Amino acid sequence: MSKLPLKLLMAGGAFFAVTFTVYFFNLDMKLTSKIEPLLIKHYDTMPRNTYL
Amino acid sequence: MAKEIGKDRLGDFFAEGSRVRSRREWRGLKDTLYDYSRWLGIMFTLAKFVAKPRNVKAMFRYRWMANYLAVPMMVDRHTQGLRGEYLRICHIEQDLIIEDVAKLLDSLFRGDRRIGNDEEFSKKVVLVDENEMTAVMMGFPTLKGLSRETPSTYISVLLNQRAACHYIDVAQQFGLAGDVCPMPEAEAGVSIDDDAPVLGACAIQCNTTCDGSMLGNGVISMRLELKDGIPCFQLAAPLRHREDDVQEYAAQEIRNAIAFIEDKTGEKWDWNYYFECAKRVNIATKNRLNWLEMNKTDYPQVFGSNLALYTETNYMAICGKVPAFVKADEKITALAEQAYKAKKRAAKEYRHRAIVWGVQSHFYMDFLAWLLNCWGIVPLTDMLSMVSTRELVEEDTPENREQAYYDMAWLTENMIMRNRTHGGYKVLLDELWEFCEEFNADMVILWEHMSCKALDGMHGQFEAKAREHGIHLVWVSHDLFDPRVVSRQGVREQINNYMRTVMREEPLDPTLEVLPDEESW
Repeated sequence: MSKLPLKLLMAGGAFFAVTFTVYFFNLDMKLTSKIEPLLIKHYDTMPRNTYL
Repeated sequence: MAKEIGKDRLGDFFAEGSRVRSRREWRGLKDTLYDYSRWLGIMFTLAKFVAKPRNVKAMFRYRWMANYLAVPMMVDRHTQGLRGEYLRICHIEQDLIIEDVAKLLDSLFRGDRRIGNDEEFSKKVVLVDENEMTAVMMGFPTLKGLSRETPSTYISVLLNQRAACHYIDVAQQFGLAGDVCPMPEAEAGVSIDDDAPVLGACAIQCNTTCDGSMLGNGVISMRLELKDGIPCFQLAAPLRHREDDVQEYAAQEIRNAIAFIEDKTGEKWDWNYYFECAKRVNIATKNRLNWLEMNKTDYPQVFGSNLALYTETNYMAICGKVPAFVKADEKITALAEQAYKAKKRAAKEYRHRAIVWGVQSHFYMDFLAWLLNCWGIVPLTDMLSMVSTRELVEEDTPENREQAYYDMAWLTENMIMRNRTHGGYKVLLDELWEFCEEFNADMVILWEHMSCKALDGMHGQFEAKAREHGIHLVWVSHDLFDPRVVSRQGVREQINNYMRTVMREEPLDPTLEVLPDEESW
């Protein structure tokens, strides 16, 4: 019974450590800035019905 | 890394050629944990959004969706340097706007013929302009008034300074004039480039805010009506909106727009819902006036982008239809009053009290935070926040039902920006100096949007009046949506030059004076 809160506490601690590191070092934005050029490349090759 | 306001060197977070900042701020334990918890909340909102396959499909279909990768960074830009109540006010606003835009995107893609193709839902959608008070939707509880331009262009440029460049180029490749406002031009570019979601029973376009907006509406409505089969109503609000003799015409335009929506959707106007929304608009006005009163004192509380971006959203897109904004208003007021009583300030030094006038550059909305952090210039209020102050009728009586058409017409005529760029020199020029006196301002930061003819025509008049009133007038030229014409540093240089050469002052935070953010989102 006492192991469950301990596990929860450890999981919570690990979640905090990982997400706070991502938050503080702006790793989320650093990752998404790498995705953007790939998306732009994809949009550039899409067929479109472009007209006025 | 500092807990105290103004101790950080905020410019150190920028790196040459980088899209993003090196890290987030340390604001002391309490404020950092608060900011982190709000960041987690934003991540949760984004995760909920991408959990729906149709939204992922839309991400790969629409070029402007790539800008939404930068959502957390937009919030970081507006919270820079903030602590305590100011940080919390900013998050209450920004997080709510993010949630609201996520819902807007989700609804657009649900009805979009290319993505979700929910035909029953689409029949309940009325497309509205981005630059339009959505007052005519205040009596249709079962309909959804959705703007395609808000997420594709307006929000996109707040997220990524270069978001509109592709669409501006597309419009100009098809021969559209290059010297009109890049906002409607980019909106037209989205339509030409086949990059706008296709949905809705009908659309309401409005003749706001300028010749460029007429250009954009023409191009967009042609595609909507002729290709997509979506009928459009052109809501033509009068130009001289302060004159009594145009008000009956303006009210009739509202009646016509409502009749058009009823005809195309089969829904009926609901007065109960209208008066509910009117009450909420009045609450928003009451709170905003309270914030403006505080800003007239030595301890302004809700100002800068905390005032500007929120006011635009609350009046134009929301217009009383979303109860969550009332709760946000109340929380903001409580925080502002708490900080006011404690005589708190958002920066270590307030050197100048400024009114920010003109149409601000959307690719550099966080300029207001920069003014405060770099030079100690307090942007007390801005032109776009000086919107409706009138109380709408909110009790359902036969007389008030008639008055309600005039109230909706008033809101539409006085759409943010339109209420100053239309209506003549009195609303654009004369009232500025009245506000300077009311707010005890010693400086005007005048955004000169070079494609906005209504503003540019008054250049000399502004200078003459500023001299007459003994007010420091600082011009800031820009091209609204196009940072290739005037960059963010180009904007900053204009202030830097004035502050150094005319005012002979040194910056509060010298690391902010020149920033390598040319490639930044």
